[in-house]
Amino acid sequence: MWSTARTIAANDLVIIWLTRDLVQPLYISPGKEFNSKFGNYRHSDLIGLPYGSKVGSRNGRGFIHVLRPTPELWTMALPHRTQILYLADIAFITSWLDIKSGSRVIEAGTGSGSFTHSTARTVGPKGHLWSYEFHEARCTKAREEFECHGMADIVTLTHRNVCKDGFTVEDTVDAVFLDLPAPWDAVEHAKKALRKDRLTRICCFSPCMEQVLRTVSALNDAGFTDITMYETLIRPQDVTAIPKPQSVASVGERLKQAEKKREEKRQRQIADANNKKRKRGDADSGPPASEGGEGKRVRTESTGAQDRDSVIVAEAAQESTDRAVQPGDADVDTAEETVVVSKTFPEVRGHTSYLTFACLLPASLIARATAVPTEESISVETRATEETNNARTAAPQALEIVAGEDVEMTLSAE
Amino acid sequence: MGVFTVGEMMSERLLFSHNIPLSEVSTLSMDTQAGTSTTPANTTRTIQAGYTVLVKVPTGEVRSVKLEDDSTVNLGRVGSFNSLKLINQPYGLTYDIVDKKLKAVPPHSIQEVEDTEATNELINDGEFVQPLTSEEIEALKKSGVSASEIIKRQIEQHANYSLKTEYSKEKYKKRKEAKYSKTFTTIDPTLFNICEYWFNKDQNRLRDIRIDTLSQMLNLGGVRPGGRYIVVDDASGIVVAGVLERLSGDGRVITICDVESAPAYPVLTQLNLNKEELASVLSSLNWATADEDYIPLLASNETAREPQNERQKLRASKRKAASDSLINLREELFNGEFDGLLVASEYDLLSIVDKLSPYLAGSGSIVVQSPNAQSLADLQNKMRQQPHYLAPAVTEVWLRRYQVLPGRTHPFMNMSGSGGFLLHAIKVYDDPTAQSAAGRRAKKPRLESAEGSSEPVMGQGVVCAQMSDASNTAPNSSLL
Repeated sequence: MWSTARTIAANDLVIIWLTRDLVQPLYISPGKEFNSKFGNYRHSDLIGLPYGSKVGSRNGRGFIHVLRPTPELWTMALPHRTQILYLADIAFITSWLDIKSGSRVIEAGTGSGSFTHSTARTVGPKGHLWSYEFHEARCTKAREEFECHGMADIVTLTHRNVCKDGFTVEDTVDAVFLDLPAPWDAVEHAKKALRKDRLTRICCFSPCMEQVLRTVSALNDAGFTDITMYETLIRPQDVTAIPKPQSVASVGERLKQAEKKREEKRQRQIADANNKKRKRGDADSGPPASEGGEGKRVRTESTGAQDRDSVIVAEAAQESTDRAVQPGDADVDTAEETVVVSKTFPEVRGHTSYLTFACLLPASLIARATAVPTEESISVETRATEETNNARTAAPQALEIVAGEDVEMTLSAE
Repeated sequence: MGVFTVGEMMSERLLFSHNIPLSEVSTLSMDTQAGTSTTPANTTRTIQAGYTVLVKVPTGEVRSVKLEDDSTVNLGRVGSFNSLKLINQPYGLTYDIVDKKLKAVPPHSIQEVEDTEATNELINDGEFVQPLTSEEIEALKKSGVSASEIIKRQIEQHANYSLKTEYSKEKYKKRKEAKYSKTFTTIDPTLFNICEYWFNKDQNRLRDIRIDTLSQMLNLGGVRPGGRYIVVDDASGIVVAGVLERLSGDGRVITICDVESAPAYPVLTQLNLNKEELASVLSSLNWATADEDYIPLLASNETAREPQNERQKLRASKRKAASDSLINLREELFNGEFDGLLVASEYDLLSIVDKLSPYLAGSGSIVVQSPNAQSLADLQNKMRQQPHYLAPAVTEVWLRRYQVLPGRTHPFMNMSGSGGFLLHAIKVYDDPTAQSAAGRRAKKPRLESAEGSSEPVMGQGVVCAQMSDASNTAPNSSLL
């Protein structure tokens, strides 16, 4: 798929990490330049550097990290042609569908190729992915992309409306993933494509509950079992180092000090006022200007009350830093004591899609298994009495039919 | 003698004789026979003698049973049968146990339930409604009456059954079925099913690694066929199992453990891996042997003594082999260039990441799981002060399962509370000469002053840049 070499070579796809928000793909073509608000870079200067290198810009406007592409980085960097699948869903689907090295998988539709890249990576050269896209322009774009990414051997891309025309393979794949507006229309086609010699799996990806209900009933009618539905999300955590919260005892102490100071001030003011009264009593016919001046002073004093408050705060801050320093050694440069805390971001993704899963147990498998003990007892017994008749007729049929797709209907749809 | 013990332990650890039951060696040939020729890595799976198989009983409980060749398998109330009945059978089938024999039955499909006018208006708790006593039911069972027949009789005798809503009737039947029916289903040993089994059994032993957590670890860790990974797994081996499953034999895993001999990864039991495949993919070092300063004690003493007899010679050659493979393994680790580091450990996380990340290739993935947000918050805070860890981010996993029944679709009343937290970062090279690749070393000081700097580097700039970085990327950081 992508380069696994240690160093970057010409024509490699690299991921340029500018910031967490700004991650973009770049094809290394010597002679070209990469320009961004974090400086400009010559492609040829990147050749030969190990993947994961930090590179300073030529004009000193910043730096970049040059990373090896992974499906996860590609999901962050890819050009959106449609709504795309993200890590949580992709990872969960991969596990439920039991996708691993060597798996054969169908995907419809291709969309922007987020799931395609991840699955191609996971199945590897021993596996295969058949991908279908009904939108011609998107399909062409995806084909170019997959070829550039060296995925042509692993992914077969077909321009096709699978709901109408079905898939290009039969009795072949281990798992089917349907990200379609009406997945129920593709369920019967999917059943044909799934291999008949083992338990196989399907996932339908739909944002709306109404779609889920229709899908579930289509899957049930087609003989799929173990139908389950999940929702999975990632809740990113905001980690910050905050100053260690102070104890309320120290807050109380600070307030006591403040009260004490205010009381002292009040006493001073009373004393001042008395002094002035006495002065006024002494010189009753003093100039009015001086009285105005006094009034001004009182006012300044009252606005000064606010200043006093801020002084208290400042003192408290000082106090807290003092306290932080005190327990340690005399080193005043010790950083303020902090604690690291984590919380979920105020706004997070709340819903992507409902993931509806089901298994298909081919009728031929059940028939074969039933055939073994029937050497001893000829009749096929089932749990529910009303099912017995159906099963009796179905079992011998299934024995003859190798692919046996139609038989599941008889067996499991009431 | 002391030297001997060390040597023996080492050979055991390296050859993994602890993990693999001997019986599995014999199943090796059968396993390959069962496969079709078209898809070598993902062939038809069938149950083999010596396998440990998960089975689901009617109550929904999943049990792990070891299938010895030609022996009785006891499923308690559900019944017992001979193991041969399951050998060479595919996974996923449901069986009835009748007279110690197995009969495959079609799987359940969802039945539509007709809506009626019935309500629970006239149904009161504690009323005597079931004249059929448990003694009578026991007698019926002994006389060989089938489960469905017993349930039918119970329903006939039930005083208020007809008053129940159709939904309630179905619930009643389901409950009775779970009680009396003698069926079980073999579970396909996918990573999903194995993880779910262990998680439900005791999530503490998995350090809260739920299947969604594990899936994200494997994807973020970039696990791909042919890749090379370092795994630290104090979670019963669930992470090791995950990586091994995804690789299916193509790739390399070195685990670092805290014990002298072979680490016990109990989760691997249900994978039923064959010994050869396991040995070629998985090797283990411990925190002593994974240390570059470690000097094996036996190496120096060894050359002095000449082996006297055959027995001693054999022992000596065994020790030599063990010692050689230890040397090779250490060299393999120290040569580095691994693709990913996956950690789920009880030990100090930063010490693990700092010790092992030097062996990662540039751009390699670091994934750390913890049941606690605090441990990872602390780790992230320390990692972001080191320039060779790019964009460490902490996330919480969340998973909700729904009941999907016609007319009754809703989330399950109980859900798993936590699958733990994940930290992901990318190992990068902060080599200062790398900055001069563009030939402007003179500009370096300007780079480091926060102005125009695209990514937090170190010191004061880190905090503000990273905070603003983080706060407007709430949706974006969830991509990774």
